[in-house]
Amino acid sequence: MSANPITPAKPDWGRLVGDSLKQNGAWHTYAKLLEARRAYPADLSLRGYVEILRNTIVRDFLAHPKGMQAVPKLSAEFMSNFDRFNLNAQEGYLVSLIDGRLDVQKLLILSPFDPFNTIFILAKLQVERAITVPQ
Amino acid sequence: MSSGISLTDQLPIAIAIVAENGGIQYTNHAFNQAFGADATDWLREAARAVAGERGWLHGFFIDGEDALTIDVDIEGRVYRIDRIMRVEDGPAPAVALSFEDVTREREAEQSKSDFTAQIVHDLRGPLSGIQGTLEFVLTQESKLDPMYTDLLQEAQRETERMMSLINEILDFSKIKSGNFTVEEEPVRVAGVLKRAVRSLQSVAARDEVFLLSAHGRDVPQIIGSVEKLTQAVINLISNSLKFTPRKGLISVGAQIVRNENDLPDAIIITVTDSGMGIKAEELQSMFEKYKQSGTKSLRGGAGTGLGLYIVKQVVEAHGGEVSVASIEGVGTSMVLRLPVKRAA
Repeated sequence: MSANPITPAKPDWGRLVGDSLKQNGAWHTYAKLLEARRAYPADLSLRGYVEILRNTIVRDFLAHPKGMQAVPKLSAEFMSNFDRFNLNAQEGYLVSLIDGRLDVQKLLILSPFDPFNTIFILAKLQVERAITVPQ
Repeated sequence: MSSGISLTDQLPIAIAIVAENGGIQYTNHAFNQAFGADATDWLREAARAVAGERGWLHGFFIDGEDALTIDVDIEGRVYRIDRIMRVEDGPAPAVALSFEDVTREREAEQSKSDFTAQIVHDLRGPLSGIQGTLEFVLTQESKLDPMYTDLLQEAQRETERMMSLINEILDFSKIKSGNFTVEEEPVRVAGVLKRAVRSLQSVAARDEVFLLSAHGRDVPQIIGSVEKLTQAVINLISNSLKFTPRKGLISVGAQIVRNENDLPDAIIITVTDSGMGIKAEELQSMFEKYKQSGTKSLRGGAGTGLGLYIVKQVVEAHGGEVSVASIEGVGTSMVLRLPVKRAA
C-alpha cells in the first residue's frame, strides 16, 4: 500500500476555453490561459489551447479586408503619449518599422521575427491601440 | 492456490509461474507437453536474468497493473507471452505467464508486409511521374484555357492525395512488421518545420489558406530521424488543410521547454488550424489507427485513417508524446513533445 501524491484533476479545457471565448473574447481568454499554463506546466493539451487562441487572434487580424496588403499606422495616441505603452523589445522593434507606408506583407519581410509572431505582435499593438489598421 | 494450480493443469494453454528471485514455481501440463522435458532450461535462464534485472522476462515484473504482452524468440520459434496475473501468495513475488506459439502468424504477417511494401514501392514510381508532369504543365498556366487549368489542378490534388495514402500504407506496413526504426542523427527541428511548411505552401496557397511558421531559428537540435519527423509534420499540416476553410490559418510552431538548470529539456511542436474543430468525445481516440474524424473534410475524400496513428508512432519512437486540443467551430492544435537528448 503506497501513498500516491494527490494530483489535481485535469480541467475540461475544451469546455472552459470555448465558454470563455464566447463570453470574454480571445484576448481575455488568452491571458487566462497563460496563467493556467503556469499552474499546469506539463499539460500538453493546454499548450494546444494556447496555440488555438493565438491562431484565432492572428486569423482575425488577417481577416482585414486588405489582408496582407493592409497598412498599419501608428495611432495618434501613441504618437502623443508613447510612454503610456509599456512595449517590450520585440514590440518596440516592430513599432520602429511602422511608417504608415509598409504593408503587412513587407513588414513580414523586414521583421526579424517569424511571420506568425510578427502578426501576433501587430494584433497586440492594435488591441492596445498603439497602431491602427485603416480599411 | 493448489486448487487453482490443479485447474490450470487441465487447460490447453501453456502456463508457467516465474518468481522475481529467479525461481520457476510451476509449469502446467500443457507447458511441459509443448516444450518437452528440458524445456524449462531457457525459462530458468530467463528467470535468472530477472534477478539481474535484464532480459525479456524482467519487463513483466517492473510494469504497472496493465496487462502486458510481448513476442519472444525461443529456440527458433516466436511465442506470444501474456502476463495473466501477479502471484503474491507464494514464497516470492511471481507472475503467471501464458505462452502461445505464433510463429506461423508472424511469418504470414511478414509476407503480407513485404508484399505491401513492394506494391507501394511499385505504385510510387509512376505516380511521381504523373505528379511531375502535372506540375510542369501547370507552370505553363498562361498558355492554358482556365477550364483546363482547373481540371489539371484537380488532378494534381488527387495525385497528392493518392501519394499521401500510399505513403501512409507503407509506413503502417513498416510499423506492423516491426521494421519501423528511427535513425539516430542530429535533427535541426527548425529545418524540419521549414521543410514541411515549404512542401505544402503551394497547396495552402491554392486552397487560399494562410500557412505560417511560428518559430525562430534558435530551436535546439534533437536526436532522431529528419525524414520521419518531416513526414509526421507534413501529415499534421495535410490533415489541417483538409478541415480548414478558405481564408483560414494554419500555424506551425516550436517552443523550448527548459529544465531547472535552464537547459533545453524538450521541444514542443504545434500544428494549429482554424478549422471546424473536433467533437470532445472524439479527441481521446484521434491517434488510434483507422480513426476517421466524424467531421466531414472540406477537400478531398476520406484518407486511410492512419495519418495520425503514424505520427504517434514516430513521436513515441523518438521518446516523445502527442496530444490534441480542439474547440468546435474555432480550431484544433496537434501537440508533439520531443525530448532533447544530451550526452551523459
